[in-house]
Amino acid sequence: MTSVIRGAAAFIVLAGAAFLMGEYHNDVYRKLLLWVALALGYNFLFGICGQVAFSHFAFYGIGAYSIVILLFQLHLPFPLAVACGIALCILFALAVAIPSTRLEGFYLALATLALGQLFIVVLNEGGAITGGTGGIANYRLPQFFGLNLRGPWYTAVIALLVVGTYAVLVRLDHSWFGRACRAVRDNPEAAAAMGVDVARTKVIAFTLTSALAGIAGMVYAFVDNTVNPPIFSIDNAFLLLFMVIVGGAGRHAGAVIGAALLFLLPFWLSPIVGHHQALVFGVLVVAAILLAPHGLIGIFDRLARR
Amino acid sequence: MQDFFELAVGAAASGCVYGLIGLGYLLVLRPTGIINFAVGEWAMLGAFGGFVLLTQYEWPYPLGMAAALAATFLIGWTTERVVVRPLVAKSAPLLAPILALLGMVVVYRETISAIFPPDPMPVPYAFGMGRLEFGAIGGTYQSCFIIGVTLAVFIGVWLFFERTVAGKAFEAVSLHRRAAALMGINLSRVTALSFGAGAVVAGLGGLLVAPNTSAHYLMGVPLAIQGFTALVIGGVGRVEGALLGGLLLALAEQLTVRYAPIPSGYAQGMPLVLLMIFLLLRPTGLLRARA
Repeated sequence: MTSVIRGAAAFIVLAGAAFLMGEYHNDVYRKLLLWVALALGYNFLFGICGQVAFSHFAFYGIGAYSIVILLFQLHLPFPLAVACGIALCILFALAVAIPSTRLEGFYLALATLALGQLFIVVLNEGGAITGGTGGIANYRLPQFFGLNLRGPWYTAVIALLVVGTYAVLVRLDHSWFGRACRAVRDNPEAAAAMGVDVARTKVIAFTLTSALAGIAGMVYAFVDNTVNPPIFSIDNAFLLLFMVIVGGAGRHAGAVIGAALLFLLPFWLSPIVGHHQALVFGVLVVAAILLAPHGLIGIFDRLARR
Repeated sequence: MQDFFELAVGAAASGCVYGLIGLGYLLVLRPTGIINFAVGEWAMLGAFGGFVLLTQYEWPYPLGMAAALAATFLIGWTTERVVVRPLVAKSAPLLAPILALLGMVVVYRETISAIFPPDPMPVPYAFGMGRLEFGAIGGTYQSCFIIGVTLAVFIGVWLFFERTVAGKAFEAVSLHRRAAALMGINLSRVTALSFGAGAVVAGLGGLLVAPNTSAHYLMGVPLAIQGFTALVIGGVGRVEGALLGGLLLALAEQLTVRYAPIPSGYAQGMPLVLLMIFLLLRPTGLLRARA
């Protein structure tokens, strides 16, 4: 019960903040919240379950593109389009995850990297369905029961997404499944010996986090009211990995801190380094791995313990 | 038929480049177990070395090539010392250096993009423009040069691993690090050398392909994927696997672009599809490791 109250309080704070901001800051805030939602999901996959995958942004894209195509090209009703979009993400994720259980360690990363690149190729070549390199634009979120979700009200929807993602992942993390994931990450042989079905655990974690990324993508589709290939490129998949590493892999708070820091850093850095913030990111990541393997949250813990 | 031969020679040349990048992976992967995604960026650095020394300073080709490769060796060596060694020393999990090198991909790329303008930079041909013909088979000077140099490199590496004591030391490290260390093999030197050599081989690939593609700061990741695909197709067990895989990949690519009835944009997806198929169906590659 307390967790429900806490979740509701977090939602009210996160959503309420949007009403205090102007149009521009609302836009920045929305994207920040989306990155946080993505990083939370990716942290579960990479930090807690130990799978390095670069397909997370492809699933974000599958979610975004599928909702737009289902709604505005196939003219499905909204709830059906959402359900079909999620089903599509789950099906794709299963199709990737089940054969991938044969791959060890970093080979999964390269297979999913290829998948992420292939997704961009398909988007670029998709013709009228995906809109090619220009993507799809000029659509609007349909009204619900006469409600018109615009401006800060839509930000509230994203806040709901973040709180919901967090709630699902924390609950999973504290269940037997979370412990199984950590066991699979730390020592798959020992986990198998303890009766954990390693392959099934990996498949479920991958499918679940990919579906969460797909849902975040559906929400994203109505942030800018345009979807195009560069948004879902492999560079952003790298950035997501960097966020989790810098923040502290395996910790939900770390994912939030990493996402917030790496998303906001360019705004402060751009007067100093211009377009070369990516160089700062690269150095940050290498430094984090070398000097602070538990990320910023690890540094914070050490300071707090003193 | 003429058309096919032309295509085959061109494909062999790009296959050799993929093979060199694959060899760059392999030289690091065997003694350390690290999949080093930075090899693509090393190739990019080799290409930019060629641009600076051969195009801007107009050094003679052999001298410029040697200097560019020496520079990539130093970069590979330094990367191992600064990024990989500390992690191995504190016995961090194997994923840590892999991710650190992934971070280095961004560091290399963005450093180059900070120094040079974002346009493709020209790199000269080794022997200028021109064609060499052997009967029905013919190719540009550059294609023949690429094929010749690559064959020399692969024969050299093969002889090194099969015929020299130092090569056996590398082999021993790849089989069992602890046992090798107990036998008196200097692990840290082997690791540093493997990074240096990997960087040279990858840098050579970049330098050789650059006259056709130009040096560009974004050229690394595609080359890294193609090189890795070559390695996966050929198998990591044998040195010549990378070359075989590279040749097959390039041939498949070129045949798809030329003859397959699909839009050329989709043909870019060819190496990606091949990579996924091989990873899933035949992760050991075509060539089996020798017992």
